[in-house]
Amino acid sequence: MNVEQTTLPKKFHDAVLHWQRHNFPDYGLLPEAWEKYFPNDPEFCLCAKMEVGMGDTVEVGDLKGQKRREKPDEMGEEPAKHLLAIIRAQASTEFGSIQQHEGTLARAQDDEDRFWVLRVMAEELRHGYQMFHLLVSQDWSAVSGQKAEEMVEEILSMQTGSHVLDAFNLEYDSFVDNVVFAAVIDRVGKYQLSMQKVCSYKPFAASMPPMLREEAFHLAAGVIPMRRWVQRAAQGNVLVTVSAIQKAFNKWMPRGLEMFGHEKGGDSNIKFGFKNMKNAEAQSQYYEECKRMVSDLNQRFIRARLPKLSPDEAETLAARLIADRGKHEGISYEDMIVLPDRGFFRRKGDAAFTMIGFSGETFTEVEEYVRHLAAHLPEPYLHSRDMKTYVESLRGIAAGTMTREQAMKKMPALKRVGGMCPCSKSVRWVMDAPEDGTASPSTN
Amino acid sequence: MSAVAEQIRIRSLSELDIARIVTIDERLTGVYRPEVWERRLMYYIRRNPDLSQVAELGGKVVGFMLGDIRGGEFGLEETSGWIERFGVDPDFQGRSLGRKLFDAVAAQLKGHGATTIRTLVEKSDSELASFLRAVGFQDAPLTALEMRIG
Repeated sequence: MNVEQTTLPKKFHDAVLHWQRHNFPDYGLLPEAWEKYFPNDPEFCLCAKMEVGMGDTVEVGDLKGQKRREKPDEMGEEPAKHLLAIIRAQASTEFGSIQQHEGTLARAQDDEDRFWVLRVMAEELRHGYQMFHLLVSQDWSAVSGQKAEEMVEEILSMQTGSHVLDAFNLEYDSFVDNVVFAAVIDRVGKYQLSMQKVCSYKPFAASMPPMLREEAFHLAAGVIPMRRWVQRAAQGNVLVTVSAIQKAFNKWMPRGLEMFGHEKGGDSNIKFGFKNMKNAEAQSQYYEECKRMVSDLNQRFIRARLPKLSPDEAETLAARLIADRGKHEGISYEDMIVLPDRGFFRRKGDAAFTMIGFSGETFTEVEEYVRHLAAHLPEPYLHSRDMKTYVESLRGIAAGTMTREQAMKKMPALKRVGGMCPCSKSVRWVMDAPEDGTASPSTN
Repeated sequence: MSAVAEQIRIRSLSELDIARIVTIDERLTGVYRPEVWERRLMYYIRRNPDLSQVAELGGKVVGFMLGDIRGGEFGLEETSGWIERFGVDPDFQGRSLGRKLFDAVAAQLKGHGATTIRTLVEKSDSELASFLRAVGFQDAPLTALEMRIG
């Protein structure tokens, strides 16, 4: 279980730091606060970490039993293209989540919560760095058609709205989003990383265990503040309410479910030995785990309100409140957090644009469904371009001017955003270093 | 292998184990203290979740053992694994869960470079001391000292 640490060649390392200065200015606060919030933990390291001692044998798929591949050209064109897309998407999510977190980080009511998220962001930066290591340490040009510099440039140029996956194209509305995102969306990350531990491409598989250990902290940085919030809400604190948390769940859960890919897909990942579960199976496990998370939150609420109840009594009361939607012992159904139905507010997959309501009911009238969404989603999110595009697509499908497939493709897609550093029209993120290796990009 | 043994799963600690660990602690001590365990478990998760293990029976967490690796403390320069918290739900004791948890934690500590595993036990807790001796602990050439100052 030893870990080897490596740094990127200087021009790529500097490109990441340059990106950080523009997109993650709070990064500099972390070292000075480290001892206070993370005493005795090893200092944060912006580096790639590879687990030593991963097995040499492919565990699943057509290559099961064969030796794990160590270079892209050993994989064959189709698998190499497929894996490259996974690595790029993974890199996009890492940098994308930092851009999202940064927008509302300073609004945290508690400094401890803020510094936990700040560490999460730094570790996401390291995870993006890790994906760059995979991209630049081997030659992918035969399947990418691009030089390593161009791939890095493309990913660093993405902004909220142009990332690969929809979950990373939504702005945060408040610090509630920082926390719920960590609990809900990072949980998808945990599933992906866990599945990818078996990957037939050894450098990718060896990247997973160190990332997974860090991801466990990210999930805790989401769940523990939520546990504290529901406790305070139960005791009458109105600053972070159960309703605000519920609406944030409603915003992020559909995007989390879609991050697994279409429910009918995932065959290629198994065939090529990249993952050990198909999309639907992983998505189902994820949904059940999220159910457990909200069940724990509900019991935390009930026991904060009714401390004399035993754990079993609290569990029974939560189940009763959710089943009959009533009010018992001063606690009402609205005090409970409930996961939205798997088909709620979907834009990708089996349920895309099928107008399924929060509890699984089906709507036939678009405007009625839009009102239903408005009642269940955070109000600031209703004002977003993302919601406008979603509602326009729904109306287009109902009017027959757009198919579901066209609507699915209409949501933000990967696009180049110029590849320029915003501080200068002439400076790119990745700079060619002179032979003595002393140059670095402009700093701001 | 018995049906019970087949259902036992030992795995790394996760944030969703907090509620069950709080319950196990409550059953052992009679005190409900979620805040204490939220803070304590965050520490072990952020240090390294693999060094702490839980036992699941039929999908329900029924035991836990929390470990950490540190070096340079008390003049002990070698990297030491520390076992610091341990609990098994009273309804599930007597099924070798403690031994299974210890084996898993010890394997993780060794894999992460620890050459010695250390722990402290109250002199009055003969049951725990017996368990620790049974899994291989011996008296250490260190003496635990304390001084009350308040």
